[in-house]
Amino acid sequence: MSADRDGRPGHAVTIAALAVVVFLQVPVLVVVLAAFSTTSYLTIPPQGLTLAWFGKVLGDPTYLSALRMSLILACGSTALSLILGVTAAYALFRRSVPGAEAITAVLMAPLVVPAVVVGVALLQYFSLTGLRGSFVGLLMAHVVITVPYVVRSALASLAGLDLAVEEAARVLGATGFEAFRLVTLPLITPGLVAGGLFAFITSLDNVPVTIFLISASQTTLPVLIFSSVEMGIDPGVAAVSTILIVATGIVLLLAERRFGFHRFV
Amino acid sequence: MIRRRHGLLLVAPLGLVLAGFFIAPVLMLVPTSFGEYVPGAGIAKGVWTLENYARIITDDYYREVIWRTLGLGLAVTAACLVLGYPLAYLIARGPERWRVPLILLVIFPMMLNLVVRSFGWIALLANRGLVNNLLMQLGVIATPLKLMFNMTGLMIGLTHIYLPFMVLMLVAAIRNVPRDVEAAAATLGSTRIHVFASVTLPLSAPGILAGSILVFVLTVSALVTPRMLGGPTYKVMATLIYDEYMQLLDWPSGSALSFALTAITLAIIWLSGRVARRWAGQP
Amino acid sequence: MSALVFEGLGKSYGETTVVREVSLTIGEGEFVSLLGPSGCGKTTILRMVAGLVEPTRGRILLGRDDITRLPPNRRGLGLVFQSYALFPHLTVYENVAFGLRRRKVGGAELDRRVSEALAMVRLSGFGDRHPRQLSGGQQQRVAIARAIAPRPRVLLFDEPLSNLDAQLRDEMQIELKRLQRELGITTLFVTHDQGEALSMSDRVGVMARGVMQQFATPEEIYHRPATAFVASFIGKPNRLAGRVAFRAGAGGRVAVGSIELAAARIDEASGAAIEIVIRQEAIGLRPGGGAEDAVGGTIVLRSFSGARVQYVVRLADGIELVAETPSHGALAALEPGAGVALDIAPEAVLVMPVEGAAA
Repeated sequence: MSADRDGRPGHAVTIAALAVVVFLQVPVLVVVLAAFSTTSYLTIPPQGLTLAWFGKVLGDPTYLSALRMSLILACGSTALSLILGVTAAYALFRRSVPGAEAITAVLMAPLVVPAVVVGVALLQYFSLTGLRGSFVGLLMAHVVITVPYVVRSALASLAGLDLAVEEAARVLGATGFEAFRLVTLPLITPGLVAGGLFAFITSLDNVPVTIFLISASQTTLPVLIFSSVEMGIDPGVAAVSTILIVATGIVLLLAERRFGFHRFV
Repeated sequence: MIRRRHGLLLVAPLGLVLAGFFIAPVLMLVPTSFGEYVPGAGIAKGVWTLENYARIITDDYYREVIWRTLGLGLAVTAACLVLGYPLAYLIARGPERWRVPLILLVIFPMMLNLVVRSFGWIALLANRGLVNNLLMQLGVIATPLKLMFNMTGLMIGLTHIYLPFMVLMLVAAIRNVPRDVEAAAATLGSTRIHVFASVTLPLSAPGILAGSILVFVLTVSALVTPRMLGGPTYKVMATLIYDEYMQLLDWPSGSALSFALTAITLAIIWLSGRVARRWAGQP
Repeated sequence: MSALVFEGLGKSYGETTVVREVSLTIGEGEFVSLLGPSGCGKTTILRMVAGLVEPTRGRILLGRDDITRLPPNRRGLGLVFQSYALFPHLTVYENVAFGLRRRKVGGAELDRRVSEALAMVRLSGFGDRHPRQLSGGQQQRVAIARAIAPRPRVLLFDEPLSNLDAQLRDEMQIELKRLQRELGITTLFVTHDQGEALSMSDRVGVMARGVMQQFATPEEIYHRPATAFVASFIGKPNRLAGRVAFRAGAGGRVAVGSIELAAARIDEASGAAIEIVIRQEAIGLRPGGGAEDAVGGTIVLRSFSGARVQYVVRLADGIELVAETPSHGALAALEPGAGVALDIAPEAVLVMPVEGAAA
């Protein structure tokens, strides 16, 4: 690899790298183009532009209810993961739990086991316990797959914390909980926002677990797109995808503006 | 001081949730994998067999799928490394003002819905997709290239999906390489390429390993992209498990395959941990 | 009346004992330093007082109250951390108000007491800043203001000056001492810097390896060290191995090789192997040398350090001593090779039992 004398990337590296950046954006651009294209398959140049697919999708109760379901699920599981994950990470961080390392490994395990395996395991489990197709079951499944992200970011944020700061609060008269709420929590909030955002997106993105657990009446948006693609390409899917692309972009930029999000990935 | 009792109380809620909704379900899958599938009736009661596991090793079709999955994992990992390293190097060592925009451009597709990204590749790679359309318009080809429902499609799609993970791991690794050591090598008379090969690359090896393991494990476990770009016939392990459960309703076979897939990922992670420890000079 | 009492206070982590049975009494308004090298247990004692570390044995009394098992928030102490431990997300005002708010002080009273505390550390008008906008010295002052604002019964300092540069450290020493006198707050100050401990304290506790070596006034610590460790830790010592030549009354003469020195106080038996500690600043120099009652030697090295000059003097038998003099006058201009006579007062020859473990 060529590099300047001081280790800066040379022209060849820069060009290769920028080509890779373009490669990363290509399918995104294609989806957006398809959403505005009049034909059901894409051509360059597009044969005509239309907003019809957006109108179709936004008027389609199937899509709207799937979107609503996805958002409820993502919000619920993120909130639960944050509460459960932060409390557990805090106890682990303060080394007030025997076997902290083993416990941390268990908390991270859902990241290691393939999602499809978690999916089929829960499918059988919920079939046996009668939770199959229930919202609670689905919510808990999403907590399981999102909580490692929260635990990880909480542990990382806590590791960067000066322990003395919390001790100072204690000596100044704060109870343990007050010290956490008034000092520790505000200081780890940026990291938690990043972890929470990852959890949210993981939930919103999930197919391999969700697809085994949903009932006919409560599908999520990615599962709906996944199944409709099996039927063939539909520009409506492109329109829905474009909405998701724009929403993701906005959230990412906001998170970057407010918290310097790129530091947490 | 918070006391142990309080610590356990804080960990307990999450522990219970994971025990109830992760550990118990996975453990309860174990007996299923030793059960016997009776078509139309489900699992035979009181019959225990190793047949489901034996078939994974002996059955030609299963073997082919497993080898394909592992090969795909290796190929995607290699592709991500080759494509990811220059980009990571540019982010880590390039102009300061490019850093954040570049990182955001890497994160953006990563945060985007997997289904949406796979759909984008379908629009590009299908027989009537953008690539074939363009090539035919230009007269390069007469009939569409087969870019989907085969290794090519899965390679392209999965490389795109997991490349951001690799880049982020490599950026961290390259930034950890001390510039002083590189400068020292240069003052000792090394050429630029030699400095890179003898200092930068070995010192970023732990990050390369970590990124490779991550991409490999994610690739062999992937369901959505292989299903969307591979279709119902060109299968990998995850899509095979999906079909055993959803189409064939053969839960015993599906669960045995699930454990085989889990074993593969755990073995890879365990092995990489040993390699990393050896590099770090620990026993 | 005693403000703070340790009774057999000790701390062990498993097999490792960090603090061994420390007992002492600190009077109301007294400024006490704990001095020792890192790892001697002084910080552990401070943290036990603050309630951040639970003692393995012994008791801590605050006035008449046993606070040994009290959580830190119910002890009513002030603690200034080495890292300052300011709350980075809060303004200076809110940092100082933190302890007052926990004590349910509010409204105009809160305002008044925060301003008062900030005025005391000369940071009036800095209330709206955030800690990261302040210099190290200013952050230090905020940490002090935060600790004194709730009017603690005892003020604890954990190496508070070690992060400041030398000049600022000297300034803060004087300022801290003045503040403590004005407020009359009983103070426990932990440091590894003997200058800090000696100049600021009413009494100093010297610690080594978890054991309190000596607890006395700075003068006593300096002039009458109780153990070889204290003798060699305080001041700039020359350490020599020797033996007792003979005893006469409380003192006698000690021998180092062929050199004999008078010592004012010897507790060891005649002929016993001993360790002799002579401080660099306690050795007088006379040019020329060779006088009957003085030890003669040759200067081998001169080292100038501003206010002082140090000489390495080689004596008979190749024994070397370091002597220090002010850096002005004729004595400051001796060149290597010059012969000198050393004046060593009997009081300056500190005779200690050989203690293999003392280092």
